[in-house]
Amino acid sequence: MAQNIVEPIEDYGLSKKSKPKSLFSKVGIIGFGTSGQAIARIISRQGIEVTFIETDEKRIKAGLAGLERDLDRIIGNWGLTESDKRAILSRVKGFTDYKKLEGCDLVLEAILSNKRESSVEDRKEIFKKIEAVVEPYAIIATNSSTSVITELSAELEHKDRCVSLHFSTLSTEARLVEVARGLHTSDEAYDNTAKFITMLGKTAIPVDESPGLVTVRMFVPLINEACHILMEGTASMEDIDFATKESLSLAIGPFEMADKIGLDRIFRWSENLYREFGDMHYKSSPLIKKRVRANQLGRKTGKGFYTYDENGKRIK
Amino acid sequence: MKILVLNCGSSSIKYQLFEMNDLSILAKGTMEKIGLKGSFLKIEKPNGDKVVFEGEIIDHQAGIEYILGVISSEKHGCIANLDEINAVGHRVVHGGELFNSSVLITDAVIKAIEQTIELAPLHNPPNLKGIQAVSSVMPKIPQVAVFDTAFHQTMPEHAYMYALPYSLYTKYGVRRYGFHGTSHRFVSKQACEFLGKDYNNQRIITCHLGNGASLAAIQNGESVDTSMGLTPLEGLIMGTRSGDLDLGVLTYIMDKEEIGINSANTLLNKHSGMLGISGVSSDMREISAAVAQGNKRAELAYNMYNYRVKKYIGSYAAAMGGVDIIVFTGGIGENNDFVRAGATEGLAFMGLEMDFDKNKTIKGTEAIISKSNSKVTCVVIPTNEELVIAQDTLIIVNG
Amino acid sequence: MKVIVLNCGSSSIKYQLFNQLENGEKVTIGGEILDHAQGIEYLLGILISKKYGCVANLNEIIAVGHRVAHGAEYFNDSVLITKEVIAGIEKAAELAPLHNPANLAGIYSINKLLPHVPQVAVFDTAFHQTIPPRAYLYGIPYSLYEKYKIRRYAFHGTSHKFVAKLACEAAGLDFNNAKIITCHLGNGASVAAIKNGHSIDSSMGMTPVEGLVMGTRAGDLDAGALLFIMQKEEINISVANTLINKHSGVLGLSGISSDMRDLENASYEGNERAIKTLDVYQYKIKKYIGSYMAALGGVDLLIFTGGVGENDSNLRKLVLNGLEFMGFEQNPETANTRGKIAFLSTPESKVKVMIVPTNEELVIATDTYNIVSKG
Repeated sequence: MAQNIVEPIEDYGLSKKSKPKSLFSKVGIIGFGTSGQAIARIISRQGIEVTFIETDEKRIKAGLAGLERDLDRIIGNWGLTESDKRAILSRVKGFTDYKKLEGCDLVLEAILSNKRESSVEDRKEIFKKIEAVVEPYAIIATNSSTSVITELSAELEHKDRCVSLHFSTLSTEARLVEVARGLHTSDEAYDNTAKFITMLGKTAIPVDESPGLVTVRMFVPLINEACHILMEGTASMEDIDFATKESLSLAIGPFEMADKIGLDRIFRWSENLYREFGDMHYKSSPLIKKRVRANQLGRKTGKGFYTYDENGKRIK
Repeated sequence: MKILVLNCGSSSIKYQLFEMNDLSILAKGTMEKIGLKGSFLKIEKPNGDKVVFEGEIIDHQAGIEYILGVISSEKHGCIANLDEINAVGHRVVHGGELFNSSVLITDAVIKAIEQTIELAPLHNPPNLKGIQAVSSVMPKIPQVAVFDTAFHQTMPEHAYMYALPYSLYTKYGVRRYGFHGTSHRFVSKQACEFLGKDYNNQRIITCHLGNGASLAAIQNGESVDTSMGLTPLEGLIMGTRSGDLDLGVLTYIMDKEEIGINSANTLLNKHSGMLGISGVSSDMREISAAVAQGNKRAELAYNMYNYRVKKYIGSYAAAMGGVDIIVFTGGIGENNDFVRAGATEGLAFMGLEMDFDKNKTIKGTEAIISKSNSKVTCVVIPTNEELVIAQDTLIIVNG
Repeated sequence: MKVIVLNCGSSSIKYQLFNQLENGEKVTIGGEILDHAQGIEYLLGILISKKYGCVANLNEIIAVGHRVAHGAEYFNDSVLITKEVIAGIEKAAELAPLHNPANLAGIYSINKLLPHVPQVAVFDTAFHQTIPPRAYLYGIPYSLYEKYKIRRYAFHGTSHKFVAKLACEAAGLDFNNAKIITCHLGNGASVAAIKNGHSIDSSMGMTPVEGLVMGTRAGDLDAGALLFIMQKEEINISVANTLINKHSGVLGLSGISSDMRDLENASYEGNERAIKTLDVYQYKIKKYIGSYMAALGGVDLLIFTGGVGENDSNLRKLVLNGLEFMGFEQNPETANTRGKIAFLSTPESKVKVMIVPTNEELVIATDTYNIVSKG
């Protein structure tokens, strides 16, 4: 009778010397909103386990449902297959307990903080909770582009392992990730992070620690300027989008961009940049403020500058 | 004389260890998820025992070390010492225009394989990793590269050139290369041996029908045309690949569905073919089962599949001015009599008289499935790419 | 009793006026007008003008026949143009965004200028509507067929049908009981397999870019190769379309010209690229003939037509060379025939091979006349 046997492979190494731990077999994400989900998808796609932390069971469920919807949408657009989806979902698990981050090689904070003033404090708190459960070599990162990593890591024991990682907000398919190092960031931590980005099939763009890094600094004034032109009555919304797209060779125009990113997010970015630099052209346009107050946040709420159906397709 | 055959994929390694004296397989296994969580090696021992080795396999280097460790272990191995392995043969997917046969691997050969990475960005890099890993573990052992494309390098220009601006050929090497060369070469030769014909004086059409599928036209021992192109997407309808497609359709879909190059590649390589048409599966056995239950789309997919194969047979008969032998191989070609019958039905005009009753009885064995008075002989020949790699390696190592 | 045949392209209008269709057709006048907007009005003016005209009064025109590029799955034959038919052509414009709108512009103009004259639409795709699903579907998700009607439609139907019928008469075969392969080789080119009077397969696809190598179109190409090129050259969809429709084919491969006559001349002078290009061109036709032979289960009649097919004897010889195994014997005496109906095979040959000059305008005129006089 043929048998089925299972054994550990380590017994069969040619040289019995201990193998270095493979990097990035498990990655943690704090906060599983739209960005958290998108980043989890990118990472899990590469075969890496993702453990995310949310505040309660309801949000875990909602986050996983969001991830699944996103995967279905991509399959509908021919970008992935059903078996890719099963594999990706099988590697993503959500918990409320930070202890579950044990064994993570990198933990990324991707929370959505609505309280402007306290967002830095919130993030610092999260960094401390992460440090309490992961190994000293594990990288701790933030996805926030307007928080400064030196500040977030200030109270940690191993500050040298902190970086700021900014995945493109507009398109998860974008092949770049901005990586900013703080005052304390070690070369090793930075290099390992860059290696991780390469594993994801993307290019790490090194940037100096500066609020907004490169991309957010570009988004905010562009969208603000579009709002000004609209308020002055120089051209219609559609025409501003069309003109910008065609003349700057962009895939989408500034209003479409704002709706896609989310107006709440643009608003927070603007406020942060304005506070940091004090420059008027970062100051959030009233057109955005008004819509944020009315909870017209763009594609995700069905209305922003334009109107969308439940599948996120523009109707007006 | 023992030869190890390696087929290194992006996250997997398949291996077979051959005893060349009697061509027996001493060891065989598959390693998966290299560099990922949950990696493992699965082997099947000659006595039928299945062993799974679990643990962290961080890269191809570590993977090959473990494989060699298992092969030479007391408990699950078959050799006492690694020195017993005389040579290693590698399957290399793309040899571009630089290789028209198997070669002994040297630094120059490695450089040349690196040059063809552009044409096979998914496949050639892991093949190279395998070569480098073996070099570092067994620095003295001779290694041989056997290319999927090499056999087709004899194709004449009129068969390999696309009607595109010539500069795209000179600039990027855009042309037909064809794949499955090792299999087409093996089964065409084997068919001649089986039939007692002179390989160098026959017009042969080989149908390699597996999960990927291609036809080749082989005239006097040389491939003169084949259905796969620059990429393995062209030609027959496959499990999940579309095969031939109006380019206008491709640009139309990209425009309408608003998808980019990556998604278009996934669409045509993963969502299409038998899976896309039938909506049932990419597996012929499941599609057969659906047909038996009266599923119309599954039946349609089958009809399209067979019709495409048949048209290619006619086309290659015209290319060679007639045909002497038609060979079926690959998982589907060897086992699916319905496909064989559908693809050869109505070809009496070119001298093929099929024995459809006998065809029904043949599964995975060498057999003639045309009538004895048929001018064209149709045969089933099981393929064995690993064996070809081992034999090529042996010949090259022996000089 | 006069019929106008119009072929409205995106930037030109070709016209022919046919007379006395009931007994021996005759073209009275023909030409091309490049200005589209007012073209048809000018055209009618010319027709009745003293100097160049041939019609005393526009009342003599009993009907207008239009060549319409794409009939999608709506039309399998020529039809009298009604509101519903116009709506159908408009719907089919999705699939032929360059051609159908121009055809429609012609129909609207006649409607306005000659409101009482009946019009007939003759579709390039209609004859091929008998192609079975196994030949018209692509190996892509079925949902794309359901959603966009993506499938093989094929073109040159008017020509394939016309030459096949005419050849049957000349060869003494029954069109409804014969296996025929027609090679329409012009600037655009396609092969059709015709069984018992019905088209069962053809080399052009949903668009005219598929199939044979053409003047400037690529024909069959690995879809993966196009994606590879798009990535390498960083080009978008519309540039890719221009590449495969305008820069490829005989022109792209040879670097000389899209005109086969130029290629033939260059090859006589020993130009390597021209010789290679001719070889690629002929090889593709040969393979399609073999492929359709297999699809038909043999062939009774093989026909060459279109500018290249009717006149290029060198190319025909290259194509036929090596096809003897299918039961064809070449007649050396007729091999160099140009532009007229002729047998290229010997009388004993099992498979008949013929040249039959095509005449799409005549088919349109005849269809138009028949439909109008019946109705």
